[in-house]
Amino acid sequence: MLKHKESFQTVDKSLKRTVSLFLFLLFILLIMCLISLGTGHLSMTPSEVWFTLIGEGTDRNALLLFQFRLPRIFIAILVGVGMGVSGAIFQGVTQNGLADPGIIGIHSGSGFFVVLYLYIISLQNTQLTGDSQFSQISLPFAAFVGGLTAAILIYALAWKKGVNPIRLILVGIGVNAGFSAALLVIQLRMAESDFNRAIVWLSGSIWNSTWSTVWSLLPWILLFLPLAMFKARVLTIMQLGDDMATGLGTSIEKERIYLIVIGVALASASVAAAGGISFLGLLAPHLARRLVGGKYQRLIPITACIGAGLLLFSDTVARTLLAPTEIPVGLLVSVLGAPYFIYLLMTIDD
Amino acid sequence: MKKSIIAALSLTLFLSACGSDSAEETDEMNEPTEGISDEQAEDTEQTEETRTLTDGTGTEVDIPSDPERIIATYLEDYLVALDVTPVVQWSVNDGDSIQFYLEDELGDLPTIPYDLPYEAVLEHEPDLILIRDAVEEDQLNQYRQIAPTYVLNSSPTEWRDTLLELGEVLGEEEAANQAIDDYDARAEETAALVSEQADGESAAAVWLVNDALFVVHPERSSGAVLYGDAGFEIPEVVSQLSADADWAAISLEELAQMEVDHLFFINDDEEQTLSDDRLWQNIPAVINDAVYTFDSQSAWLYYGPVANTQVLTFIEEAIHSSN
Repeated sequence: MLKHKESFQTVDKSLKRTVSLFLFLLFILLIMCLISLGTGHLSMTPSEVWFTLIGEGTDRNALLLFQFRLPRIFIAILVGVGMGVSGAIFQGVTQNGLADPGIIGIHSGSGFFVVLYLYIISLQNTQLTGDSQFSQISLPFAAFVGGLTAAILIYALAWKKGVNPIRLILVGIGVNAGFSAALLVIQLRMAESDFNRAIVWLSGSIWNSTWSTVWSLLPWILLFLPLAMFKARVLTIMQLGDDMATGLGTSIEKERIYLIVIGVALASASVAAAGGISFLGLLAPHLARRLVGGKYQRLIPITACIGAGLLLFSDTVARTLLAPTEIPVGLLVSVLGAPYFIYLLMTIDD
Repeated sequence: MKKSIIAALSLTLFLSACGSDSAEETDEMNEPTEGISDEQAEDTEQTEETRTLTDGTGTEVDIPSDPERIIATYLEDYLVALDVTPVVQWSVNDGDSIQFYLEDELGDLPTIPYDLPYEAVLEHEPDLILIRDAVEEDQLNQYRQIAPTYVLNSSPTEWRDTLLELGEVLGEEEAANQAIDDYDARAEETAALVSEQADGESAAAVWLVNDALFVVHPERSSGAVLYGDAGFEIPEVVSQLSADADWAAISLEELAQMEVDHLFFINDDEEQTLSDDRLWQNIPAVINDAVYTFDSQSAWLYYGPVANTQVLTFIEEAIHSSN
């Protein structure tokens, strides 16, 4: 069961395999970025993209690439990483392959607090435009508080001498519904501009991404992704079950809380930037697990790549399929993710 | 399904249009704008002259003196009145649904989605963007990188202020005043006809959409035309119901109590058979055969000088037909 019996050679081999897979996925991601830069309602030839990137394109193309498409690509990648890795963490912590932060209500908890926060701001500040830079940066914090609240609520409600995976999902779906309902109530009380703002990202859309959205999300990913990597070993041990993990010298409850905080942080910051994109936290880790197995030291980097790639792909499709009209990217991810979720539910052993 | 989406969309547009309370700003609009300066023109290398106006977000916007490629979605009505042609027109459903009541004036002008995607805006290379709905500041900054973007000060429910402001921004003050004078003269004709043929009679505009009934606010949209300009009496129920929306929900029972003499009924669905309902049959307008049906693409649901003029025409036709 433990890997200590494996010869160094096999460890070396599988490590090598993971690294080359990781590099391969990064390469794919880079290609996708370039394709995504060139496609859209206004198409650009690869040479135009290239000349614009090295600063020799027209002003119009520069505006298109650097102000409209590039921030969007960054957001897609960061959110994909955040939601994917968050899903992987939740699945590890709960030892439940179905734990997606979107399904169990972390997203709607975050969403609820963000909308509540925007509403309170709008009450205090009747001015048409508040300090938008400030509110953009503070959004992830509001989302984080909301995500934590939801996580605590789910955990407390699902607790019955330990947490049964199926009960956790069911309670999560309940909490999800509760927060969604509360969200609607607040939304209906909001003023026009804030209502629009809420609508835009509740549908899981990144169409109006700007650099300030990127800057508000980037620190969260940069801080919590390494933390998740740092805790990957603990997650791997947790897979063995609570008893075994305790036996191996892990203080399970403490580590679990620590990991949940990381997972919530990654998910909430992503939600604050892009709204509730469900199923991404489910799809990415599962595909990654197929590729590299359940060892979190390998799983997390691969999940991050796959999450980023999936969302970037979905967003590119979302904005080109019916261009210039856009499909909310969350909708597209759901179209991909929902059947997979059902497939998992049908094949799970309890 | 498509219809209901359009209906829901337009409903949210109408409801949201009344959210902002910019009464103070509207007052400012009546004073001459002080923001105009010529300094800006000297700074820029362009030979084109610009004027600087302060817009609804408090931002100073350099307005080109002779804008040629204007994007002003959902403000097309006013532009038509000022005889200015924009480069694109508002649409929903991927261009399938436009403001059909302006079809004669706008013709087959290219469409742009109502939410103004950046790339679609960029595609039309505007030199001036005019916006009514308050969008996020981030989003606004993106538009500002494409072209000068002016957010209107005036309240969406005040079409006269909106027209005057647009006249000022586009350097068409005279045309704006002329359009208002023309409209007022036209409205007087209608009012004369109403007081002659239907003195003291009441009227209401009721919109049936997705099995729900809505009645127009007495001071907004076509309500302002119906009561304020044409001079119909406001049924008591209408003034009670109307809160802060252009169209207020009303039940069939309330409609029956309204005892309204003329009913302007906006309904797309001919299959919809309210006519079988006993409550409906007891409405005075129904008994007197004074129900006039329109589709929801007609001017009743809109704001602006063109829409209002069309509503005046509808009212006159209705009165002629009822006698």
